[in-house]
Amino acid sequence: MTADLRRSPLHSRHVDLGAKFAAFGGWEMPLEYADGGVLKEHTAVRTAVGVFDVSHLGKVSVSGPGAADFINACLSNDLNRIGPGKAQYTLCLDNATAGAVDDLIAYLHGPDEVFLIPNAANTAEVCRRLAAASPGGVTVTDRHGDYAVLAVQGPRSAQLLDALGLPSEHEYMSFATARFGDASLTVCRTGYTGEHGYELVVPWADAPGVWDAVLDAGAPLGVLPAGLGARDTLRTEMGYPLHGQDLSPRITPVQARLTWAVGWKKPAFWGRAALLAEREAGPRRLLWGLVALDRGIPRPHMVVLLGEVPVGEVTSGTFSPTRKLGIALALIDHATGLHEDDEVTVDVRGRRAPMRIVKPPFVQPSVR
Amino acid sequence: MIPDDLRYTPEHEWVRPGQPAVRVGITDFAQDALGDIVYVQLPDPGTAVQTGQAFGEVESTKSVSEIYAPVAGTVVASNTRLADEPELINTDPYGEGWLVEIEPTDPDGTGQLLDAAGYRELTEK
Repeated sequence: MTADLRRSPLHSRHVDLGAKFAAFGGWEMPLEYADGGVLKEHTAVRTAVGVFDVSHLGKVSVSGPGAADFINACLSNDLNRIGPGKAQYTLCLDNATAGAVDDLIAYLHGPDEVFLIPNAANTAEVCRRLAAASPGGVTVTDRHGDYAVLAVQGPRSAQLLDALGLPSEHEYMSFATARFGDASLTVCRTGYTGEHGYELVVPWADAPGVWDAVLDAGAPLGVLPAGLGARDTLRTEMGYPLHGQDLSPRITPVQARLTWAVGWKKPAFWGRAALLAEREAGPRRLLWGLVALDRGIPRPHMVVLLGEVPVGEVTSGTFSPTRKLGIALALIDHATGLHEDDEVTVDVRGRRAPMRIVKPPFVQPSVR
Repeated sequence: MIPDDLRYTPEHEWVRPGQPAVRVGITDFAQDALGDIVYVQLPDPGTAVQTGQAFGEVESTKSVSEIYAPVAGTVVASNTRLADEPELINTDPYGEGWLVEIEPTDPDGTGQLLDAAGYRELTEK
């Protein structure tokens, strides 16, 4: 089965570090490391610095005259809100249903060049939809295997980049290009942990050298390699959606409370009509946070109940290493009128675990 | 790490033979596969269990695993320290991380269980 999975250029580094691997979006990626474990890796990111190999993320370049205008007419967020050198969280919606085909980051290089980082599993589909719609002169190139991505995240991440001679001062959601030895890197002030951090987009062949340098320079700062297990607990504490769980082709940004990433005033983007209609009618369900009131740990697909009545479903749920209790994101039927501070239960393998409805994040972010 | 003086189940529990009760935990192999354990649910003393019956849960950051009774009998003790220190199962699965003690209905009940060599063979498959 693993024969079909793609591997990062850092795979042998992970093997040497005793990583346990998991299949994710068609890639075999490290879940946790022998000297770490989810809790230790999570804590390193919250209190010091961690480095993640997220090379499974997609990389797509959209180039040619009017590339930015083209992307702005397809994806949900308004690219005119940012200038060149800035990045933006945006959504690729299905034009008929406004369900989320993907959520992604768009890096605006200029009017004729946009770089996209979609989710691993959705990259081919995003490319297919964009390529099919692209006007003459604009090319959409899937560069999944051209770049590795290393996420350096945590309160000491700026110190780590300084030690490597890489730019660290640029503001949140912006990016800079830099040389590292013979390699040309893009250093983005982005991340998926809620901490101050960077994502380094590195040419595939240069990735092992950069990875080694990050671990060496980070050693005095307490850096730990961190896997997808910690990445998931970190992002869940922030209430960041994971596509395929909290967001999907069956879940719209109105339901997932991502309307801040929708350029409502734009004349056109995919899914606009369906999304406007849903906003007008009111969504059928809404994404809320749940905090466990006892030792129960909610998990995806568990049923949320009000009394005996099913009122929703957990989409992401885990143990919060920071708060040391169960937390979840759950889609809850809007018609119930359930709101912040209301109490529900979650069916945890036959036991009714009491939970309180909250507005995420579960832990205060410190991205800036 | 598979101690020679213990007995094992195919579900990755270990049993330390004893009189009048046997001590039960999960193996090093099991704790490693589960990852960081954050929550343990155990039966109260006095609970009667049948062989193979799910009687508790061990939950890690990423998954949950049921614990099955390796022998039939009555639970006479559970490791109360695990409520606040579930990580003991990770750090010392055969010692401080024990789960329960069961007084077997059949004092020879552990004879059906795997020995260390048999369990090692199972984990190496």
